[in-house]
Amino acid sequence: MSSASGFTRHGKNSFIATFGESESEVLINLSQQLIEILAERIDGQPTDPLEAMVGFTGHDSPPDDEVLLRLLPNAYADPVDSSEFRRYTESVLREKKRLHAMAIRSHLLNSEKHQVALDQQTAQAWLGAMNDIRLALGVRLRVDSQSHEQLELLSPDDPMRGVYAVYTWLGWLQGTLVDALMNDAEG
Amino acid sequence: MSTQGDTQEKTEDLASPLFYVDRPWITIVWDDPVNLMSYVTYVFMTVFEYSKERAEELMLKVHTEGKAVVSSGRREEMERDVQRLHEYGLWATLQRDDQ
Repeated sequence: MSSASGFTRHGKNSFIATFGESESEVLINLSQQLIEILAERIDGQPTDPLEAMVGFTGHDSPPDDEVLLRLLPNAYADPVDSSEFRRYTESVLREKKRLHAMAIRSHLLNSEKHQVALDQQTAQAWLGAMNDIRLALGVRLRVDSQSHEQLELLSPDDPMRGVYAVYTWLGWLQGTLVDALMNDAEG
Repeated sequence: MSTQGDTQEKTEDLASPLFYVDRPWITIVWDDPVNLMSYVTYVFMTVFEYSKERAEELMLKVHTEGKAVVSSGRREEMERDVQRLHEYGLWATLQRDDQ
């Protein structure tokens, strides 16, 4: 996947990146998948409308899906404390992550010539969503501290090779935005 | 994070049961092979308003030791910290400081 320069800072509060067409498509597609993964769980108890209104969904068990569990992790080692915390916080966390992914999708869909300009606030959303996508891909790729060498050696016809290429590209892209933001913080 | 603080806390524990009740809770961030080192540093700076030096030190501790205590305080405060770290995709948990 060819890339330009990633995100660069322009002035105090502008972070600009220009994507290739296929890069933009991949990012839109992955953001859409993230939005769908984070959609409300259907495995829980029926939701009380009042509870739903104030953000309680009643989900207190950890998600069965490995990717979701990584995105919405347990806050306590103790399962009882963890359930209680999840019951009151999971839907809020889920919604924030969805909004982050929606920001990427809408920026790219509304961009001219695949160029996006972020401010500090929207940059946070991008960072969060890029990281969540990488976490999700990392689970699928079984990334651990030892696995990078094996992933580098995947054969060209292995479908995971393309996934790994996207994963490393996104890591690079996220890094350029972090660097741009850090320079800003120092300046 | 400071050992001096821990010692003081222990002494207070012995002095008064009130301090036992107030024994602090801690937020722990666990090592994760996916999260970028620079990103983790940036998150610590953003969430906790730590200096770049302190944030980097904590990030390296997570990376080399597998985990690090990144904040301590009342339980409600630690729950808020964990929630924010989860928003950024860091692997964080909280527990009573039993060290």
